[in-house]
Amino acid sequence: HGVKRVRYSKEALEAKRQREQSKLKEYLALNDDILARKKNRDYSQEAFELSTRMLRINPEFITVWNYRRDMFLGEIFPKRYVSSSDVNDLLTEDLNLTTALLKQHPKVYSIWNHRRWCLEYVPDGPSEEDPHGWRTANWNKELFVVEKMLEGDSRNFHAWNYRRYILASMPVRRSEQSELVYTKRKIEANFSNFSAWHQRSKVLASLWEKNELDPVKSREAEFDLVKNAMYTDPGDQSVWIYHRWLIGEGNDAALLDREISSIQELLDEQPDSKWCMESIAYYKNILLQKHSAKLSEGEQREVAASCVKLFDELQLVDPERKQRYVELCKDPPIS
Amino acid sequence: MTSNRELHIPLHVKYIQALGDSKDDLMYHLTAHLRLNAIYWGLTALTIMGHKNALNRDEMIEFVMSCWDDEAGGFGPHPDHDAHVHATLSAIQILIMQDALDRVDVDRVTKFILSLQQPSGVFAGDKYGELDTRFLYCAVNALSLLGRLHELDTEKTVDYIRLCRNFDGGFGAVIGAESHAAQVCVCTASLAILDRLDVIDQQTLAWWLAERQLPNGGFNGRPEKLEDVCYSYWVLSALAILKKVSWIDAEKLTAFILSAEDLEQGGIADRPGDQPDVFHTHFGIAGLSLLGFPGLGDLDPVYCMPAKLIEARGLTKDWQGLPRRALGL
Repeated sequence: HGVKRVRYSKEALEAKRQREQSKLKEYLALNDDILARKKNRDYSQEAFELSTRMLRINPEFITVWNYRRDMFLGEIFPKRYVSSSDVNDLLTEDLNLTTALLKQHPKVYSIWNHRRWCLEYVPDGPSEEDPHGWRTANWNKELFVVEKMLEGDSRNFHAWNYRRYILASMPVRRSEQSELVYTKRKIEANFSNFSAWHQRSKVLASLWEKNELDPVKSREAEFDLVKNAMYTDPGDQSVWIYHRWLIGEGNDAALLDREISSIQELLDEQPDSKWCMESIAYYKNILLQKHSAKLSEGEQREVAASCVKLFDELQLVDPERKQRYVELCKDPPIS
Repeated sequence: MTSNRELHIPLHVKYIQALGDSKDDLMYHLTAHLRLNAIYWGLTALTIMGHKNALNRDEMIEFVMSCWDDEAGGFGPHPDHDAHVHATLSAIQILIMQDALDRVDVDRVTKFILSLQQPSGVFAGDKYGELDTRFLYCAVNALSLLGRLHELDTEKTVDYIRLCRNFDGGFGAVIGAESHAAQVCVCTASLAILDRLDVIDQQTLAWWLAERQLPNGGFNGRPEKLEDVCYSYWVLSALAILKKVSWIDAEKLTAFILSAEDLEQGGIADRPGDQPDVFHTHFGIAGLSLLGFPGLGDLDPVYCMPAKLIEARGLTKDWQGLPRRALGL
């Protein structure tokens, strides 16, 4: 992905090939050596060091990560007279290796996967009185590392997935409330951080399900947050998709009315905003589908007419998705 | 003078044929862990372009069989590499396209695949346990192609996918993960194979998918990300299964894919101006096929295989791409 095409002249191509030949020979020699040793179940220190060398060159080589783990489990941990403290040190070293590799290759699955594996094998210790000490220290460090990575790239889904994994696995759990704070910080730093909105939706859903948060109050707070974001950047889709989720099935007619009015105000300021139009039309449709009893016949006709008008406009403002608007107009879906 | 409006099939065929000649390239060897997958991408693209025989059938079959990991009972991506569910799927797909599935020890492969399912319902890629709905799809697809889907715990599998469903209607790699077009593709296709499209909030998901189209006509994989030719397939296949391909601008997407063709070496890149590779060549052509591009064969978006082969096995599900346009118009 993302590799620019370079046009080489014949001579330049030949020169490039020559330079690569020695690299290639070296790589193939290393490759053949490692795979042969693996076949022979060579779990020596030499083999281990060769795997380190290979993984620094090619961290996507899954089979060599597997071989390395086999060496830990088959030889190093059980047989080389290692104490728990040694095991912890060895795993810490491997965690450091993966940190270094992630700096250059932040999106390689097999590196993240090896990190998890290391954490799972951290032994009890440092003492009988404190059996979770090493684990806690390692997990805390993990959170720190992943937060650094998210500062570098707040949309790196590997890092977000890893963050969720750490939070769920830490011996002393952080509260989900604190995760609400974290996601709010990320969102306020950049409203178009879909990954942060997504994380927030998960945390809220969980807190609501466990009855740890008042759904009415917190939903109101979310509408406030979203309104702020909408007005800051009405073109950003994250906010509108999140808003749609907050509305949910649309069973609260008063809420629908209020939000439609609020978005209408924004549309008045930004008359070409496709997201405003789309949301208003969509929510008005729900009003008609679910709450027509609350409207007079005249009002119903008005709402229906305004939907048609909006969907017609949307076909012009957002022509790529024309057919969707045609269909929504003809057959409004029941939410 | 060649324009960018054509799909230069003979050029792409030559490009794919030449891939095996790069043994002097370091990059060729650095990607050995993708080799079997690459052969599947190349062969599928060739088949859809009507040039299946551009690569030697016997050599290919022997190579696939040399990837057999007898200890694990599955296929690895390269000789001496560990068995993996993704490579196993690619092996099965290649052998079906080459009409050589009889070379596979179906019992052992089925056992290997099923052994990778976790108590939660998701699948690991191999014995070292990287979990991802991509691997769930590889398993479901492979078992279905082998005629062994009935041995799968469907409820458990479907339950896991349901738990991966997000606020935007999409699906992520694991429970809690953000929606991503590739994960949406594999979850949607898995649900199609398992006849459980009821798990999907189709209106919301089709909306999210349609919004992947950018002003330049290309698709991205998630909000605010860059366009990439491979999303032409991930997004489009899911839309085809939901029968909502009409919700995007087919002309603009077609133009975008074609603009990423490399008119000198052949092949298709992730975006215009970048280096082509067999991955993007395959998914670009797959996308064009679903868009009804003239001169291409039909591709089944559920299995990502030539549609005729899936029909012949009685596995076709209810999907819809755009009608095939006639050549020369």
